[in-house]
Order: sequence, then C-alpha cells, then structure tokens
Amino acid sequence: MHRELGRRLIRDPWFLTGAVLMFLFAFLLAARPWLTAFDPHDMRFQPLSPPSAEHWLGVNDGGMDIFAELLKGLGNTLAFGLLAAGVSLLFGVGAGLACAWFRGLLDVLLMRIAEVLMAIPAVMILILMAAFFRPSPLFLALVLAALTWPSIAKVIRAQTLVLKGRLHIGAARQMGASSLYILRRHLLPELFPLYCIGFASKARMAIFMEASLSFLGLFDPGRKSLGMMISQALEYYYLDIWWSWLLPPILCLSLLIMCVTFLAVSLEKVFDPRLKEAL
Amino acid sequence: MNCVIQELSVLYSAEEHQLLALDKVCLELAPGRITALVGESGSGKTTLGKAVMGLLPEDARVQGSIELDQRELVGQPESVFNTVRWSRVAMLFQNGAENLNPVHRIVDQLAEPLIHKQGLAKAEARRQAEQALQGLELDPALGRRFPHELSGGELQRCLLAMAFILDPEMVILDEPTAALDAMSKGLMGRIMCRARERGKALLLITHDLDLAARVADNVLILYLGQVMEILPARDLFPAPDHPYTLALGRSYPGLDTHRELGGIRGDAFYRVLHRHREHNGGVRPHSHIVGREAGHEDGHVPPSGCLFRERCTQAVAECAGQDVPLLRVGDHQVRCLREGIVTALVLEQVAKQYGGVRALQGTDLSLKAGETFCLVGESGSGKSTLAMIAAGILPPDQGRRFFEGRDMEPWIRTDYRSLAQKIGVVHQDPAQAVSHRFSVLEMVAEPLRIQKQVQSKEDLKALVREALKDVHLSTEPGFLKRYPHELNMGALQRVCIARALVTNPSLLVADEPTSSLDPSVQAKVLKMMLDLQIEKGLTMLFVTHDLGVARKIGDRSGVMLAGHLVETGPAAQVLERPAHPYTQSLLEGAGGKMALNPAGEAGRVEQGCSFALRCSRAQPVCRQAFTKPVQSAQRRVACHHPL
Repeated sequence: MHRELGRRLIRDPWFLTGAVLMFLFAFLLAARPWLTAFDPHDMRFQPLSPPSAEHWLGVNDGGMDIFAELLKGLGNTLAFGLLAAGVSLLFGVGAGLACAWFRGLLDVLLMRIAEVLMAIPAVMILILMAAFFRPSPLFLALVLAALTWPSIAKVIRAQTLVLKGRLHIGAARQMGASSLYILRRHLLPELFPLYCIGFASKARMAIFMEASLSFLGLFDPGRKSLGMMISQALEYYYLDIWWSWLLPPILCLSLLIMCVTFLAVSLEKVFDPRLKEAL
Repeated sequence: MNCVIQELSVLYSAEEHQLLALDKVCLELAPGRITALVGESGSGKTTLGKAVMGLLPEDARVQGSIELDQRELVGQPESVFNTVRWSRVAMLFQNGAENLNPVHRIVDQLAEPLIHKQGLAKAEARRQAEQALQGLELDPALGRRFPHELSGGELQRCLLAMAFILDPEMVILDEPTAALDAMSKGLMGRIMCRARERGKALLLITHDLDLAARVADNVLILYLGQVMEILPARDLFPAPDHPYTLALGRSYPGLDTHRELGGIRGDAFYRVLHRHREHNGGVRPHSHIVGREAGHEDGHVPPSGCLFRERCTQAVAECAGQDVPLLRVGDHQVRCLREGIVTALVLEQVAKQYGGVRALQGTDLSLKAGETFCLVGESGSGKSTLAMIAAGILPPDQGRRFFEGRDMEPWIRTDYRSLAQKIGVVHQDPAQAVSHRFSVLEMVAEPLRIQKQVQSKEDLKALVREALKDVHLSTEPGFLKRYPHELNMGALQRVCIARALVTNPSLLVADEPTSSLDPSVQAKVLKMMLDLQIEKGLTMLFVTHDLGVARKIGDRSGVMLAGHLVETGPAAQVLERPAHPYTQSLLEGAGGKMALNPAGEAGRVEQGCSFALRCSRAQPVCRQAFTKPVQSAQRRVACHHPL
C-alpha cells in the first residue's frame, strides 16, 4: 500500500506545487554565495537606490543590499521554522510513543501536561519571553517546540495504541520480538505519515510565528528576517521602491508558507483522509 | 496348541548380499486368540507365516526357534513338518486360487486331504467336504463345479474351507480379504470369530487395518522384518504408540475415518545385509535399507539404530545410536527409544479470566506429537483463548503448561525465543497478521530475524525459499519482492504458514486459518498443511468453527462450551457419534437443522452446565453443578446425561 502512496503523491497537484516551491527555496539558499557577492550587513552602498545590475533589488535605507538581505532573512526564517518543527516532532513522537507503549502513570502524567500546554496560546508566551528576556532565536525556537509538541504526541499516541493491537505486532511478539524490534520495524515506519503531517504543520506555524515576532521587532535588530524586512520596508511604502523592497519578502514569506501548507495538505490527503480531523 | 516363536530371523541369499526378511521376531500364538500381523509390503509378514509352515524356499536361512507345544520346528526335516502341516497348522495362502487344480472339482480337492491324511473313505470325505462348504455359507452344489466357474469370493471361501478341513489347531491366514468385496469380507470376519470361539489360534496376516482392528485380539506391527509395536487391536486406530503405527493408521482408508488420507514420508522396500571386507581383513556385517530415496549405492545406513528413524518424524540423534528393544508401555510393547509417540503439549487445569468474564475454566489438554487436534465450539466458548495459552502467547491465570516435557512458565521467563522457535502460529486473517510494509521475503524472514538464528543474508534467503517451496509458492526473486496487497488471500495465508514454519517448529497453532478463504483455496491450504504434517511431523492445534474441516483434518477433536472442554476424543467418534448433547446440536446446526432450544430460555447458568438452558435432556441437577469429565476408552465427556 505504501508504494501506491508514492505514485499518488507524485500525481497530486498540491504536492507538485509544494515540491516545486521547495526546490526553488532550496536552490536560492544553496546558491546564495554565487547569486550575490554582498554581505547583507554591509552598509557602504547608496541608501534607497533602485534596482540595478549590481543590486538586483536595490539598496535599503541603511545602505544594505536588499537581495542579500532577503536571502539571509529567508535562511534565518526557514532555519527557525525547521528547528522548531523538528524539535517539536521529536518531543511529540517520543512522548506519544512512550505514553502508548508504557501506559500507566507515565501516560497519565504526560497527557495531562500535554493538555495543559495545549490550552496555553504559544504566541503570548513567545511575545512575553522575547520582550522581557531578549533570548536568542535558538532558545525561542526551542520554547516554541516545547509548547507545540502535545498535538503531535496526542496523534502519535492514539495511532500507536491502535497499532499496538494489530495482529502483525502480536505475531511479532509471539515470535519473540523485543520492544525495540517492534518499534523499529513495525511502529516507526507505520507512523511515517504522522511525522510528515506533524512536521509540516508545525513548520508552517513556526515560520509564521518567526515572521510575526520579527515584524513586531522582538528579535535582535541585527538578525535578518523576512518579518523584519517587511516592517522596515513598510516605513518607506510611499517611495516607488516598495515593489523591490516590500514585495519580495512578502512574496517569499507567502510562498514559503504556501509551500509548507501545500505539502502538508497533500500528505494528509494522500496518507489518510481520516487523519485530517486529528490534526 | 501354543505356538511360541522366539528371535526368529530369516535371511534370503542373493548374489552378493543377503536379504533380511525377519529380524528377531518374538511372537506367541495362543488358542482362542486372533493375532494380526500388519505392515507394509516387504515387511516380512508372509515370510513369518511360511516359516511356521516350513515352506520357505531353499535359499532362506532360518535362525531362532519356532516351538509348537514345546516342540522345536526350526531345522527339522521335511518329515516332521509333514506331520504338522494341514492337520495341526494350516495356512490360507495369498492369491491361493491359483493353487487349486483347474481340472478337478472343488469338492474333490477339499476331500483330498481327508482321504490322504485321515484315511477316510471317498464318500465320507466328500460328505464332510460338502459340510465344510455349508459351514462357510456356501451352497454345497457349488462343490461340484470347477474352480474357474466360481467367483473370487467363493473361491476364497473354498480355500478357507480347505484350510479348516482337517480341523487344525492353528490357522495362518495370509491376506484373506485382499480381493474380496465388502459382503465376503464381513463373512470372512465372522468365520474368523467363529474359529476363535472354537479355540483355534489364528494368525491373520493382512494389510487391511480395519479387519485387524475389528477381528483380532492383538496386533503386531512389522516394519522391515522387525516388530515395531504389539498392541491390543482396539487401540490400533485411536491410540497407537509407535509413530509407524500412527502413520499406517492414517494411511488406511477406513470407514470410520473422515480425515484426509496421510502417508508415511520416504519409502523403504527391503533390508539387505552386506559383509564388507575391512582393511584389516576382518568382516563386518552391514545392513542397508533399500528404498527409492535411500538407494542401495548411496544410502549406507549404519547397522545399529531404529530402522524407522529416517521416516520417523520424532526421531532424535540417539535413535541412530543403538538398537532399541521392545519396551513395555502400558499394555503395548513398543520398539521406540522415546517410548512411543511423545507428548508434545500438556495443559493442566489452565484457566483465564478477562475482567470478570471467565473465558476458560480449569481445562486439561494433552497433545501427542504429530497429531492434529481440532478445537470446535460456538464463538465465545474459549477456543482461541485455549489455543493462545497453548501457543505461549497468553499467560493463564492458573494451571500449568508443559511443552515437550518442560514447564513453559520458567521457559517463557528465561528464554522465550527458544520456545517461540518451536511453536508456529497461524492467525485467522492473513491480511492483518502481516505488516503491509513487508515484502514476501521480509514477512517469511521475520521470525528468523527476530530470533537471530541466521547470520548471513544468503542463508536467510535460502531458508525463506525452502519455506516457500514447502507451501507450494513461487521462489522467484520477483515474488519475494511482492507486497501483501499484491497477493490474494490464499497466497497470503500460505506466506503466513511459511512464516510460521520457517523456524522448523514442532507445534503449529492455527486459529481459524482458513475461515477467510473460499472453499477451493481452503481445500488447497488444508491439503498442503496435512502434507507438511506428514513430512515434518508437526503437531497441530487447529481452532475452527467449521465442523466439516475438523472432521476432514483432525485426528482428535475437542468441543468447547463456555470455557469448558466438554467432550474430547477421536475426531471420527466425537463428530460421528457425539456423547454430549451440545456436540449433537452443534452438528445439527452445522447440518442446517434448527438448534435445540425447547424452552426458548436465554441467560447464563452460573454454576451448572452452560448448555442446560438449551438442552433437551437437562435435569435440575444440570443447572446446579458441572460434572467433571468422565474418561472412557479414548473419550472424555462432561455431561450428567450423555447420549
């Protein structure tokens, strides 16, 4: 069955669009040294100059190359999103598996903690922490991950409980399989769609969160980010350079979120229609 | 007259080797008893009969002793035998009709021994001959015919009359029913019983196990000239002790057996004795078994050890090491190092509760190696629970489990994998029992990987291929890469069976393995499982709600009712002549009749028999207490008022 899934994925237009965008972003980031020779923090250019052959998207008010800034910001935003989503997935899968496998007190405790965390709005916590402690983006990403793992854990736990009762796992146990074997050969591959969906949804949320926080200026001003670029460009929207300064980060952010969303939607669609409600 | 045969060996000389037809056979024939001699062709049955009659060919060398009323016959000249033959010991020869003289009338041929041996007048001899014909329910007028004018059955009876004509004290009957129709066979049985009542000692040489079981008192099982088992005839089908006897019984198409015919793996035709010249000039006797597989040239079987071990499914290394004497096991005598068919699994008073529901209540079950035990019963009666406890998957709340003589509880605690290796499990739904992410190769290899038996990938693949070949599936690389959804249910269930068998287990627990298959695929899978049982000697615990399947494959059946095993016994008996009313209504239900429920009551019986509310024979006592199972012969029934 899982082989058919691959074929169905490739035929899905949502997946194709998402994948094309993903490759585009990956290319932009990977080819950064060749695409632009400028340091995004270099302030020696003529401020507010329009796009030219040298500066593809012009220069901003601080005398920095906008294209170089855009690529750097894109990288930072994406890194934050992926890190937060990755750590959240790790926590979620770990907690979900542990709860379903061991049940008992651990299950009760972790699930109650998860419910408490799900009730707390993550944005509020992040804004408060960023405003008061000025932590590093890495720390903020981890905090975000710590706040968002419960939904993944819940889904993983539920699915693991279902799988645990499956006959093929019972059969493997009868053959004398260790828990590690069942985890490795039966459970983890079986949960694969849940990782994909969980990761994509968390990444989408984290990217948006990072853009919002930096738009509000809650990050270190020296750190390039798409949200920060948008907020800076907005101050000069009356100049005719808005299309080369404001539009690119907005487009980038939108496309990035679209890319992740499209991938998530198509994975959901393809893997299990019933899981849509769960996530 | 007593005939005591001691250590009788007969060797036939051939060009460079000797054919060992009988190997130290001991036997006692007492008056008023029928002893049956049973075995495959070439086992030396006829040789034994002929040896007693002194009719062996010139080149036969006879060792040991045959005593007739303390008078030694072996080595005696022909004149001694002449005083014994016909008048004291007579023999009915196989295909004896050829020995009749075609140009003399039957009655004359019958009268001949009377005239020559007893010196009667011709008329008197004829009268007695006609009387003898009448005694065998033949029309005396038949006696005036020539042999070619009689049918096979009539001829056989004439020959029998001839064997009995001088009123010998002992008669050897060599395949008396081989070419007979059912009516004549029945008559032959009656004649034998009548002769026994008259105090004759009868030796019945036959491959008709049914006849032996019905007529004889004792049965001797002969294999390649050796007595493998001596057992009371009533135990021949239901309770043999030697694996060879069991296999013979399974191969015989008896009227009572509904089970598919089995067979015995491999083959053996005869034994030869060589005298190999050793390097130091000495001579070492050396025996071979000649068969199609173990050919004369390549199959050098060492002189010692059990003769049957190559074909025996429970043979162990020690079986090759030493000659085995006849051991006394109960009222049987068995030539088997392992004291007969070993017990594979014993469950003692196992019980299991799920929450407050008592799924299984103090149940005893014992499985002999190589048998198929079918558990039948309505759903929710605890069949699967019992099977899963037997398979070691489910721990019982109480009771003890022994597998191959070892207590299972410490075994599971300390070294579960070595136990899991010996027990294969086949589940009801093959699609659920395998991960859809596994290819055929991975599915079958899974137990090997889990139990870490095989190191190299090549060995693993070889074992997988072998297992797939056993279940008649393709071993092509393309097939090994297929996924479950690319296989049909029948093929997938076979893959599951291959997976259960790849570790070479001795017990196969199958929980409704064919209920998800259509009849034609089910037939193939069941046949294949029975074939595998013959080849590998698997013990099978087969859970099914299909009584037809149970009847077709089971050696024994157990009927479950609300967590109790209410009836166990040979499958043919339990499902043919049920003793428990519940079994009967199961059979009626399976036959499409309405189940008995005269009072139309529903509900649970807390203390007594759970069937009491639906039983037409139920009395108040049935609802008050549950009876302990009562054992009689091979059957156990737990009912206050058995049928």
